Amino acid sequence: MNRSNGSARKRPPRTPKESWPNKQQATTPTTPVIDDEFLDEDVFLDETLLPEDEESLILRDIEQRQDFASRLAKWARPPLSSAYVSQRQSIMFQQLDIDYVIGDSNRELLPHSSGPAAIIRIFGVTREGHSVCCKVHGFEPYFYISCPQGMGPDDISRFHQILEGRMREANRNSKVPQFVRHIEMVQKRSIMYYQQQKSQPFLKIVVALPTMVASCRGILDRGIQLDGLGMKSFMTYESNVLFALRFMIDCNIVGGNWIEVPVGKYRKTAKTLSYCQLEFDCLYPFAWRYSDIISRHPEGEFSKMAPFRILSFDIECAGRKGHFPEPTHDPVIQVANLVTLQGEKQPFIRNVMTLKSCAPIVGVDVMSFETERDVLLAWRDFIREVDPDVMIGYNICKFDLPYLIERSQTLGIAEFPILGRIRNSRVRVKDTTFSSRQLGTRESKEVTVEGRVQFDLLQVMQRDYKLSSYSLNSVSAHFLSEQKEDVHHSIISDLQNGNAETRRRLAVYCLKDAYLPQRLLDKLMFIFNYVEMARVTGVPISFLLSRGQSIKVLSQLLRKAKQKNLVIPNVKQAGSEQGTYEGATVLEARAGFYEKPIATLDFASLYPSIMMAYNLCYSTLVTPEDARKLNLPPECVNKTPSGETFVKSNLQKGILPEILEELLAARKRAKADLKEAKDPLEKAVLDGRQLALKISANSVYGFTGATVGQLPCIEISSSVTSYGRQMIEHTKKLVEDKFTTVGGYEHNAEVIYGDTDSVMVQFGVPTVEAAMKLGREAADYISGTFIKPIKLEFEKVYYPYLLISKKRYAGLYWTNPEKFDKMDTKGIETVRRDNCLLVKNLVTECLHKILVDRDIPGAVQYVKSTISDLLMNRMDLSLLVITKGLTKTGDDYEVKAAHVELAERMRKRDAATAPNVGDRVPYVIIKAAKGAKAYERSEDPIYVLENNIPIDTHYYLENQISKPLLRIFEPILKNASKELLSGDHTRSISISTPSNSGIMKFAKRQLSCIGCKALISNGTLCSHCKGREAELYCKTVSQVQELEVLFGRLWTQCQECQGSLHQDVLCTSRDCPIFYRRKKAQKDMAEAKLQLDRWNF
Amino acid sequence: MEIDGEEARLQRKQATYIFLDEPFEIQKETYRGQQYSQIYFARLHLMRALLYSLVPNWKPHLPICTVLELEEGRECVIIGTLYKHMKLKPSILDEYSKERSTTPLVKPHNFMHPDDHLVLEDESGRVKLGGAELLPSAYVTGIVVALHGKETSAGEFLVLDVLDAGLAPQKELPLNSGEDKYVVLVSGLNVGSGTSNPLQFQLLVDHITGHLGDEKEQGIAAEIVHVVIAGNSIEIPRGLLNGQNLASKDQSRLFEPIKELDILLTQIAAGVPLDIMPGPNDPANFSLPQQPLNRCLFPGSATYNTFRSCTNPHCFELDNVRFLGTSGQTIDDLQKYSEANDQLEFMERTLRWRHLAPTAPNTLGCYPFTDRDPFLVESCPHVYFAGNQQKFETRLLKGSDRQLVRLVCIPKFSETGVAVVVSLCIFSGMLRIIKGTGLTQKSQHNFQVCLFFMHHTHFIVAWDRNWGGLKFRSCLALQCFSTMINGVFLMVKQKIIWWSMPILLIFKR
Repeated sequence: MNRSNGSARKRPPRTPKESWPNKQQATTPTTPVIDDEFLDEDVFLDETLLPEDEESLILRDIEQRQDFASRLAKWARPPLSSAYVSQRQSIMFQQLDIDYVIGDSNRELLPHSSGPAAIIRIFGVTREGHSVCCKVHGFEPYFYISCPQGMGPDDISRFHQILEGRMREANRNSKVPQFVRHIEMVQKRSIMYYQQQKSQPFLKIVVALPTMVASCRGILDRGIQLDGLGMKSFMTYESNVLFALRFMIDCNIVGGNWIEVPVGKYRKTAKTLSYCQLEFDCLYPFAWRYSDIISRHPEGEFSKMAPFRILSFDIECAGRKGHFPEPTHDPVIQVANLVTLQGEKQPFIRNVMTLKSCAPIVGVDVMSFETERDVLLAWRDFIREVDPDVMIGYNICKFDLPYLIERSQTLGIAEFPILGRIRNSRVRVKDTTFSSRQLGTRESKEVTVEGRVQFDLLQVMQRDYKLSSYSLNSVSAHFLSEQKEDVHHSIISDLQNGNAETRRRLAVYCLKDAYLPQRLLDKLMFIFNYVEMARVTGVPISFLLSRGQSIKVLSQLLRKAKQKNLVIPNVKQAGSEQGTYEGATVLEARAGFYEKPIATLDFASLYPSIMMAYNLCYSTLVTPEDARKLNLPPECVNKTPSGETFVKSNLQKGILPEILEELLAARKRAKADLKEAKDPLEKAVLDGRQLALKISANSVYGFTGATVGQLPCIEISSSVTSYGRQMIEHTKKLVEDKFTTVGGYEHNAEVIYGDTDSVMVQFGVPTVEAAMKLGREAADYISGTFIKPIKLEFEKVYYPYLLISKKRYAGLYWTNPEKFDKMDTKGIETVRRDNCLLVKNLVTECLHKILVDRDIPGAVQYVKSTISDLLMNRMDLSLLVITKGLTKTGDDYEVKAAHVELAERMRKRDAATAPNVGDRVPYVIIKAAKGAKAYERSEDPIYVLENNIPIDTHYYLENQISKPLLRIFEPILKNASKELLSGDHTRSISISTPSNSGIMKFAKRQLSCIGCKALISNGTLCSHCKGREAELYCKTVSQVQELEVLFGRLWTQCQECQGSLHQDVLCTSRDCPIFYRRKKAQKDMAEAKLQLDRWNF
Repeated sequence: MEIDGEEARLQRKQATYIFLDEPFEIQKETYRGQQYSQIYFARLHLMRALLYSLVPNWKPHLPICTVLELEEGRECVIIGTLYKHMKLKPSILDEYSKERSTTPLVKPHNFMHPDDHLVLEDESGRVKLGGAELLPSAYVTGIVVALHGKETSAGEFLVLDVLDAGLAPQKELPLNSGEDKYVVLVSGLNVGSGTSNPLQFQLLVDHITGHLGDEKEQGIAAEIVHVVIAGNSIEIPRGLLNGQNLASKDQSRLFEPIKELDILLTQIAAGVPLDIMPGPNDPANFSLPQQPLNRCLFPGSATYNTFRSCTNPHCFELDNVRFLGTSGQTIDDLQKYSEANDQLEFMERTLRWRHLAPTAPNTLGCYPFTDRDPFLVESCPHVYFAGNQQKFETRLLKGSDRQLVRLVCIPKFSETGVAVVVSLCIFSGMLRIIKGTGLTQKSQHNFQVCLFFMHHTHFIVAWDRNWGGLKFRSCLALQCFSTMINGVFLMVKQKIIWWSMPILLIFKR
């Protein structure tokens, strides 16, 4: 039921922020936010498993549920071929999830070790669709420290002893026989700063368990007493790498790629621990010195996707009136499931599990149960039998999964939460606080379902798209052009308490909620895009959603560093000690309405190119101290405009430039392949890849600038922006110097605006074609003056172009001289959610009139008539609805806010339908006593409709539409404010809506003439208006006609969305554009009918 | 009945008229928040009872089940309302929610698409229909049918055979009295529009009232016992009705066409009983059933008791011959959402489905009835007409139960100048068309005036712009014609009177 009233449920309290420090944002000082917490958490296998006595209970339970299991058996995965069974075939699978668990080290594979050890588990699917659990033994967590000077190989064993002792002190309760497995001296080099010597001695410290990396790091950070050296603290290197990622890097495995384990290199596990069809053990290749696990590069055959199983599900809960469902009180009444094989168009399983009987649904397997316990257990059995690799849904991570788990705890069903792939292992729920610069701080629950990737479409949407609403309804309307019926959560319980038919209604609704995420997944190619992103950046797929941006860059950096024998220091996250730096330049905007074509010159991936061109990297940075000491010849170094020194690539090629080069080259390749590709699935993969590569290339700069990131380096990021500024200025100068009448051109070129990586030039020529020619010429000419690969490209012409101010402009976008491509707007598109729709419509329409129709008087006229309509109360109410999310209750807000006050008032009226925390509250501003505060004048739109409450039209004029309008018109009109916002049209006599409040309470209603409103005692018309019957009747009837058309279309549309003709529409989706209109049409129709009936005398 | 001339007076014939519009009248019903589900429910309920009674004869061996009770692979009969899923069907949501695009949306006249598919729905659920037996192109949303078929593994219902309700039982046709009696059916007068020609309408009126022609012609006129105007009589300038008070100039612009119509209708009503139905363009409500045009629009004609303002659809009996018809919206809507060879086929289908307006309320505006569906055809009419069609078409439809129905498409008078005359002994070639002067934009030079009688006389007159080119072809009785070329010729009894512009019309009484 979760999203019963749509928007709310599926939305976290915070709206996502703009992306993290990207080029645009660097202008503002970056505030310290911890991007990710990189902490491993050891999970002991024994702890996750159920105790013996409970296990027998489960066995009993399984026996009892034989009947049900056989019903599900037909959905099981394809049976293993004999080659697999007899282990005569190498196992090739696409891995989707990698984790580790602590278990006893495997005696057979590792005869020499004992005690607990980390076992890597790789879950995946073979080409035939078999599920795989590959357990890798012998991989041990480690990190580096720089070897103190004077410490030789002989001193290591002493150091080992001391460290072991300190570790033992710190972890008294642990039963691990040996904490520090071994320490060896290796020759490495730190990535930080340009160094002339090739390598230095480092100590590689291998510890027993992954969590011990952190505790050991702590000890070394604080310092330990060493013989002869005294108290010494150590800088650690690569001590913040998650264990699973460490494994992937060392094995050269990237997220979502194919892995091959050849025959003879694996052993079938004797006592299987998982539900996977192929469960086997193998050894970490390092110990064997040759590959046991072959990681396949995702190319050709290996770029394909395995037929993994995607489960899309949704649950419904019966809430109590006035409360959002809580797992401690409210039962789970339905679970709808759809299972699709990756690559197939239609789901092959559709079912719904309901509490109490439910009438059948065609094409859907309806399973009804008498108790909630049976519903939950049936779902568990279903999961186990179908064995999905990916679980999707809308807000499943924050709502559906935690709810199911907590509900089972409340009901005391200990055997329920075995949803993962590990036999008898419970799902773990963890409260997490996830904070990222990009997404803000979120408190949530993390449910770990071992071996199954969770892909919450809500999270994806919030990450990838900027939308005005993230409710499933509006997201599907946006991407699928499909609305869904929105049943208010107060109705859900009623439907549940009805009969099999009403519950069927609910089930259909629930199924649709499960179906839409699947549709979104297919339509937006998320599987392809995310798998490709994982492949490009090398992180597991699950990291992409649950973690921030920086781990992606870090993963690439670590991989590259490993190749180059470099190690990455773990810089302490010490807040924003490092200063801020100057961001990108924005050239002064010469605001105005340009009716000549404006050519736009863009730097293609400016920041990555700068980093490549000037070899900016951690490993090429020369500290001021070193600069003096090393005395590098000036031809070998670049001094950046911000004053930093970097060596040129002939001395030392930087790692970041190398990563970037590879990314961009790979993107070029992917784009070329994309052109060649015929197969739509292959195309999808390649397109996803080129997109992932582009995003990755652009996020490298941000990684260096994230002051509290993994490896911030302000020297790099400030140099990048300073070069960027220089280039913009340089371009401006060159354009204005070269393209002049003196230089033989027709007009003097003028740079009217420049922003970060683009420069807008007015060449003065009147046609798009001529502007394009000059634009190309300028781009080629100026590109020649830059170091490769920095390149200025000519892409588009704006014509006409309305420049309002910095970062605010609109124009028609031309890439070929025949026809414009689209209308492009920036900064003025009022997609902000707290504006009413009227603003958006008005602005869009005005821009359309100004830019496309070239009709400024028309636009002015349109504004005037809209204002006049508004003031005369002829505006459709739904255009005036303002929506805000209710994040906490009224008392918690410091300042009184309109929507909060309204929610309180609504609660007093009817607690059952009042908005709850997390809901979005729609309201309109109504007329009230003079001096009333804005927050007191908010009212529920439905209440306004039902009670004919007058709208405060002046509020809308002054507080909503005037600012955006003036912004657009100021560059165009001289006295925009005077012209638009005052004058005849604002003096229109407003037709007051009849009101039941104030003085109207005392007024007596009397019959009035339809023609002239004169009071009459009976009949329809006064004596003066007699003879005008036909005319007046036509007027009345034409109103009725309009309303009838509207009424019919609106209500049949709702039937359409609902998918049923014979049942009443229940939907209360306030996000739906016709919700208020529908309500209003119904009410107006009744009134108009009464008016019309007055003529039947 | 006054007839011009000194010959013996002709007596206009009479017929007994029974008014059967009650089901279409909305009296006390109001909008109280009811939705459209009820009308579908009522329709399904009534039609299902009917189909239940037919199935034992149709597929005696098959069980009848609901959508819910379907089992994969089992053959059975299901009864329910069809829903046609249409890709191109315009949605009001798009108008509200879509961004304004730079290219205007193309509005097709027909919203069919090869991907359209049908769904059968009853109270219990929906099932997608498959198979070649049931072509989506011939069906629309809202029809109740019985289907024989079975559920496939994909959850579809494979249709093997279709049963629609078929023609409703028909009252026996009265014995032919040997007398010729005629009913004039006309639609699309569009008084006040650019296409309407006042003279043409006047000719029609004169013809009906017997002010034209010789004795023989007048004799025919005297046999006209009833006139039905099937919608779109007035075209009022809609732009004026924007909620503002009207300037007096605009008041008269609005009022003029109404007055003009009233004057002409008064002439008819003075001689012949007249039924006027509202149409989609008339000043009446929009939703079906359209309620009678208000009498205040007809201050002159409404005073006659022969004048009757009726609903659309309209049903009546004349000498026990049952007439049923609409102003054409029902057929036009079917044309938008389905396909047929001609308009008559659409009309035939509605009779077979036993529903006048299956697409209401889905795509055709309709009042949200709560307890009934007035559009169900309970008794099969003898004459079934649809107004405001592109051209005149007619066919005799024979039902399986010896029903005989005369289907008539009445063309738009203002565009074609054709009125249809139906004899009450409808099955003996008793249909004729009065074609008035058709001065259309296309044929300003060579146009034809024809009076075309299917079994009486047959003459065509062609007038050229140049007077000398006047030709008579198979001219039997040139009595009185009037027409207009760059002015007005009015020819009465072979006397030619010429008026120059502006047009003045003089009527002799």
